[in-house]
Amino acid sequence: MPNPIIEKISSALEISRQKLREAKTENDIEAVRVDLFGRKGLMPALSKEMSAVPSEEKREVGNALNNAKNEIQTLIDEAKAAISSVSSSASDEIDVTLPGRTWKLGKKHPVTMVIDDCVSIFRRMGFIVAEGPEIETVYHNFDALNTPPEHPSRDPQDTFYFPDGRLLRTQTSPVQIRVMESRKPPIRIVAPGRVYRRDTPDATHGMNFHQIEGLYVDRNVSLSDLKSILLAFAHEMLGPSVGVRLRPHFFPFTEPSVEYDFSCIMCGGKGCRVCKNSGWLEISGAGMVDPNVFKTVGLDPETWSGYAFGMGIERIAMIRYRINDIRLLFENDVRFLKQF
Amino acid sequence: MKISYNWLSQYTDIPENIRELADKLTMAGIEVEAIEAGKIIPDGIIIAEILERKPHPDADKLSVCRVNTGSEELQIVCGAPNCDAGVKAPLATLGTVLEDDETGKKITIKKAKLRGVESSGMLCSARELGIQDDHSGIMHLPKDASVGAPLNSIIKSDTVFDLEITPNRPDLLSHWGIARDISALMGTTLRFPDIKIPAVLKAEAAKYKDSVEVLNKGLCPRYTARIVKGIKVKESPEWLKERIQSIGLRPINNIVDITNFILMELGHPLHAFDLAELKGQKIIVRTASDGETMMTLDGKTHKLKSSHLVIADAEKPVALAGIMGGEHSGVTDKTVDILIESAVFFPPNIRASSRELGISSDSSYRFERGVDFEMAEAASNRAVSLILELAGGEIVSDLIDVKAPEREMPAPINCRFSSIRKLLGTEIDNQEIVEIFKRLGLEVSEINENSCRVDVPSYRLDIEREADLGEEVARIYGLDKIPALPVNAKMVSSLAEDAYLKLETAKNELISLGLCECMNYSMSDEKSAVCDGKFTKEDLVELKNPISSDFAYMRPSLFSGILDTVRRNISRKNLDLELFETGVVFCANKNLYPEERRECCIVLSGRKHPERFSSEKNETYDFFDMKGLLEKWLEHRRLENTGFRKADDPRFEKGSCAEIIAGGKYIGSFGMLAGNFTRGMRTQYPVYLAVIQLDVLLGLKDRNILYEPLSMFPSVARDVAFVADESLSHDKIVEFIMRSKPENLEKVELFDIFRDENIGKNKKSMAYSLTFRNSARTLTDEEVNKAHEKLRSQLASGLSVDLR
Ligand SMILES: [Zn+2]
Repeated sequence: MPNPIIEKISSALEISRQKLREAKTENDIEAVRVDLFGRKGLMPALSKEMSAVPSEEKREVGNALNNAKNEIQTLIDEAKAAISSVSSSASDEIDVTLPGRTWKLGKKHPVTMVIDDCVSIFRRMGFIVAEGPEIETVYHNFDALNTPPEHPSRDPQDTFYFPDGRLLRTQTSPVQIRVMESRKPPIRIVAPGRVYRRDTPDATHGMNFHQIEGLYVDRNVSLSDLKSILLAFAHEMLGPSVGVRLRPHFFPFTEPSVEYDFSCIMCGGKGCRVCKNSGWLEISGAGMVDPNVFKTVGLDPETWSGYAFGMGIERIAMIRYRINDIRLLFENDVRFLKQF
Repeated sequence: MKISYNWLSQYTDIPENIRELADKLTMAGIEVEAIEAGKIIPDGIIIAEILERKPHPDADKLSVCRVNTGSEELQIVCGAPNCDAGVKAPLATLGTVLEDDETGKKITIKKAKLRGVESSGMLCSARELGIQDDHSGIMHLPKDASVGAPLNSIIKSDTVFDLEITPNRPDLLSHWGIARDISALMGTTLRFPDIKIPAVLKAEAAKYKDSVEVLNKGLCPRYTARIVKGIKVKESPEWLKERIQSIGLRPINNIVDITNFILMELGHPLHAFDLAELKGQKIIVRTASDGETMMTLDGKTHKLKSSHLVIADAEKPVALAGIMGGEHSGVTDKTVDILIESAVFFPPNIRASSRELGISSDSSYRFERGVDFEMAEAASNRAVSLILELAGGEIVSDLIDVKAPEREMPAPINCRFSSIRKLLGTEIDNQEIVEIFKRLGLEVSEINENSCRVDVPSYRLDIEREADLGEEVARIYGLDKIPALPVNAKMVSSLAEDAYLKLETAKNELISLGLCECMNYSMSDEKSAVCDGKFTKEDLVELKNPISSDFAYMRPSLFSGILDTVRRNISRKNLDLELFETGVVFCANKNLYPEERRECCIVLSGRKHPERFSSEKNETYDFFDMKGLLEKWLEHRRLENTGFRKADDPRFEKGSCAEIIAGGKYIGSFGMLAGNFTRGMRTQYPVYLAVIQLDVLLGLKDRNILYEPLSMFPSVARDVAFVADESLSHDKIVEFIMRSKPENLEKVELFDIFRDENIGKNKKSMAYSLTFRNSARTLTDEEVNKAHEKLRSQLASGLSVDLR
């Protein structure tokens, strides 16, 4: 059977909690404070009663009293703080249209957004990411990719070289070679990364830009498989109504080689300014891995077949976000970056 | 390469619809880069004849002409110098609307008075009609043009296609070549131009039999020559001028125009020499001697090397083989006898010479890609036939033809039908494959149910293997007919092998912490590259052929790039910055860093809440915002043994810089950017920057997540406060408390630091709150007090602090 004082304390606590919860003005709170702590309040009265408590219960009652005092004081402080923050605006209500306190929102660079989207689409289709160095050997960037010695892309006009004869990779395709050198088929990789061309920066060119490369090597891979993967990619990336068109082209490391276009997302293929009235947006190149490339990395082209494709990340970003100048992507103006 | 629609239509039937033709070409791999639609000549422009020309009474430059329109005579005032009587010229009759190509402005021809003289129409220049660029005078029409007929009855509007020919298809570098591919695509008939060559007198022919000598047959596998005497060099007829002008060439004289025409018609470069200028009337194909010089027809003198092939006469070079003719050996107005060269040169040699000498021409462009061995003769025949027709003269030699005997014939290809089907992934039958080969002019033999033998004609240098045949089948069959199978999503490797996963996660973490991602160029100038004081010039990876000295080095750090980004934003009044960049950086000094590694830079500067108001608006980022951000990132990554230690670093202000430790390793530094980097930036806010060795960070092993049970019992709080030396750092105190292992201690939190003179100089008062809790029971005051007291005395003795 607890001491009656403890019961008084807990019922006083209950009432005060209730009153403070409902308090709307400073006066309401002050009234509670006076009731409890005022000269004629409950607490001084109970303190006086302490002398009558049997000594073996003194400690328990004393603790209860102290805890109650502390709790009520805290509740009063909180109630005051709550009211003062409201009353600082002229009325009883806050102006809900005042600016909210921002939780900082980070933004991915548009190039990263496109890379990440590409990667997640291809991961869904069983690809994983592989990578290679940006300073490459002529062997990996050109020779092993069946590029003839006289091919214009090797020209120092177009490619950055180092004094030791190596170069800055001009494409992500050397990753194909590095992967085929280091693991056995089946191989199913994509390789996003930075590549370099010796172009003076203008609205559509930069010294460095980004590509993503894809490579699938297995038994019985056909041009039809390539077409289906590009179509699936277009649908995931730009929507299910997008069409894909392959056109014959020439790349040294694929045979047959194709360029592929997506139907124009601006006009739906009817023809507009963006697609120069053709209804198609040129995306990039692809093809079936050339038998010479297989021979170079020691794979038998009679056993293995494969497709490879590449695409320009900036090109896709520019189409997707209607960016008309590639240099905006490397200026890092936060007003630009925060739009994505 | 420019191709004229009208010209192309000479050799095969092509679709009337321009768009349809463009699509056919595009889908055959011949990309149409531009279509210049020919201007349609309005019906109001008619063929008129000038009957009389009189000077204008009041204007020196104007003439007053009497003009016959076929139905009436009109008075026309004309400002052209060439409106002589007898000339037939286009006349814009009253009411005709002319449109200016450049401005798009339209003018209607009206009856007008020019300096007081009435004029009832306008005689037009070729440019005014948008036909050619000639504006030197009115256009002269052929003498036999019928007066009064609309001009568009004799001048058909043309359309010019600008085509991109891939380097593997030199056979497409001509109108004939394009027509040949179209005929394969569409199954139309080809029409080779008519060639008429009269027989040559045997006696004459014998004289020239040995006039060609090829000393280096490796570099010149075939050289043919023909001699025509007694020609008349003059202006070309309209049709020829029109052809070569349509693709942007300038007419010169009939002989030069014919060689240019055949170059664009058949794709085979020809050269015409003035026989009188060839010493000894001889052609010697040889390599130059080192240091030999010659002047090309553009007036430039070249010093030659022994690798350069020249066409010489008995004494000296008269042309750079396959590249450009010599200044003194070409055809002039006075030329009477000519030698026509039609040859084949070794492509790599022409390419190298053209590059070394800095000369590129329509002919070198074709020779370096490879011309058709067999076409050399046909092109020569075509030239002679046209010369005799347009310049007169008499042919006095047979085809002098010097060939390398050991010319390699391309090997036949064994084509397995099943391989083609496998490559393309489509069920095309044997018959159709053979049909496609035949349409392409490939010779098919030894056909059986599995395979056939394919012999490739001399103009298709690109077809060597089965895969090349596969490409031809795909091209002609139509890539659009290849089915797209359901996607095969085969998993051949595990996600754990994915090289991007870690970086991608790290980037997402930084974004979730509120940072905006930047991207800078990988190259920089020397000064910026070493500006952080961490690298010297010797550590830099230098390019051999940079675009300019501003981009001569590979960045050794992201530091200067992101500094540029900060500077650029501040100059644009974007002062509130929360940025990061990750990227590859380069180092030539292997003792310092690997050649390529990844780095990460983070920037905080400006106001934390620019969107708010009152005092909140003025809160700015400080050292502890950056530190807190880094702590959260490390926590995100679940790393162990993380910490920060005071550091000195030239990049940061002294005293406001720290090193970051994770997994016991140094992973980067951060602090307030040093004044020498922020000087000149128009911002009142300090810039906080972190440079992280990203590869090291991403290589650290993260902690396993193992759930810890939650205690359901109440906690008990105690405080401890003491006065300590300034040099005693917070982390030392926390570490000491944790190492003392007070019983049931759950948490230590700093809640106050206080300094004043009562405490003393170089002293501070520190107050910590301690939370005690047990997982199995409610703690009693006694045991907490005991632990608390014990810790207090440990602190007093172990850290020599004065308890308060
Ligand atoms: Zn469009």
